[in-house]
Amino acid sequence: MVMSQLVMNSLIAGSIYALVACGFSLIYTTNRFMHFAHGTTIVAAGYLLYQLFQVLGIPFFAASFVSICLAGMLGLSTYYYLYLPLQKRKASNIVLLIASIGVLIFIENLIQLIFGASVKSIGYIKIARGMDLLGAVITPLQLTIILSSIILLGVLSFLMYKTILGRNMRAVADNPELSSIIGIDHVKVSKYSFLIGSYLAGIAGILIGLEQNLEPTMGTSLMIKGFTGAVIGGVGSVPAAALGSYLLGFAENFGIWYLPSGYKDAIAFILLFLFLLFRPSGMFGREKGASHD
Amino acid sequence: MINPYLIHLLIFVGIYIILVVSLNLALGYTGLLNLGHVAFFGIGAYTSALLVKAGVPFITAFFSSGIVAGIFGYLLVLATKKLKGDYLALTTLGFSYVVYSVLINWGSLTRGPLGLPGIPKPELFGYVITSGEAYLLFAGFIALLVVLFIFFIIQSPFGRLLEATRDDELGLRVLGKNTFALKCKAMMISAFFAGIAGSVYAHYITYIDPGSFMLGEIILMLTIVIVGGIASLKGSVVATFLIILIPELLRFFHLPSSVLGPVRQMLYALILISIVLFRPRGLFGRIDLA
Repeated sequence: MVMSQLVMNSLIAGSIYALVACGFSLIYTTNRFMHFAHGTTIVAAGYLLYQLFQVLGIPFFAASFVSICLAGMLGLSTYYYLYLPLQKRKASNIVLLIASIGVLIFIENLIQLIFGASVKSIGYIKIARGMDLLGAVITPLQLTIILSSIILLGVLSFLMYKTILGRNMRAVADNPELSSIIGIDHVKVSKYSFLIGSYLAGIAGILIGLEQNLEPTMGTSLMIKGFTGAVIGGVGSVPAAALGSYLLGFAENFGIWYLPSGYKDAIAFILLFLFLLFRPSGMFGREKGASHD
Repeated sequence: MINPYLIHLLIFVGIYIILVVSLNLALGYTGLLNLGHVAFFGIGAYTSALLVKAGVPFITAFFSSGIVAGIFGYLLVLATKKLKGDYLALTTLGFSYVVYSVLINWGSLTRGPLGLPGIPKPELFGYVITSGEAYLLFAGFIALLVVLFIFFIIQSPFGRLLEATRDDELGLRVLGKNTFALKCKAMMISAFFAGIAGSVYAHYITYIDPGSFMLGEIILMLTIVIVGGIASLKGSVVATFLIILIPELLRFFHLPSSVLGPVRQMLYALILISIVLFRPRGLFGRIDLA
């Protein structure tokens, strides 16, 4: 009973982390720097939905669609107006990381300024009585989260492995110099990866807004979860990042079964430390991963 | 008489000078992008506060705070030995989060989120520093000593080795230098002073809680180092005055504190982004950002 509930909770957490990690990983592999502000894109999408749906009363699906689109625009414009000029100047990835932290702090505080520091929740799906599924209690909403995450990951895999855009993305990720020699437009690929990655972040933001409460400062911790998931799986590959995120979900939920619940966030970091130290390529990574840079 | 509020701000400037100058030793001079500096600050503050509350004399607690933070600095370098660049940055940020979680959760020692109230004012040779003016002298004196100490370090052959580690680690290794030992020493000195700053902070504020040692503070330190310029001692000192004092002008707009906090952070973020975009050397930097 307890075990199956823990498995279910792990799947729910893992699904959300996987969406974060895949978006992050997509951007990371094609650009080779950490778009730390990815975390805040998620939160921004959640708050946009809150504003559009909860405050202005726009129908839920229209509001979600607009929020996801705006999240994509946020990611894309961060790339276009901040990272691209820096990349053109041949700035190192540390500089890009610092710029990205600046964006994170700016948007986080902008949200706090507009919406206040108190938590917000989106009441679209009425709190339903959980269903019994193999001895675990799961609400319809949580089932939606797991299913939509799996479907999206499937769509992403299709995109990465069956389309020309995906092939170009993987080529840039594999070898940026060689791919530009054969005529792949790096900037275009980067734009698409920011757009798609930020769409995923937007969807993650909406699911989080429905399932948990929204807080302005939650972006950093989500970002670190996604990053840890990506490192556990293997930074170079998007499907590996998804698997790693599910593993992180399991590690956290089974970990707090033995540890005080306050240590939940620390579990991710300890895993991150251990993987970076002993297995920087991750569980499924073929590349050298962290030691590559 | 100087305005007590100005004295309060200047004491903060003193504390931040210690923090920023020591961060610049690791980040600017040695090239270790350490986002765990705030954790050393917190470790120092808690060490000093807990020791003095347990009856240890202030001067012992003061140095212990630096030593304990220094030991953690060593452990952090040891744990992140293989990592560079952005991976090092994120892992050290992770270290800050782990320290924060421990401070929050180790309730029997730290009282968790409730924090530690009633930390005694420092007592030196039978004299208790209570007034703001006296504390300003104390903090200013410590800050001056730290700046001088770091000035001598960077002028020394050891300092040049640190800069060489930043510029060309492989080259230095080829010359037979142990770059790992150099990084260890730089990080330990940096952490030691962050711990000392924690002690100065804890005994001034007399109340500490884990929330004082989080992301916002790292951003502030990082902004100051970058505004002042990587590997510039003068820049760090000047930028500390500018960055701590300029946002205080916002007070003249009489904004409520729920607005003031976010606006201040947004201002820091904007300064950080514009420096990175338009002036990567900062005010007095000699080298471009990494």
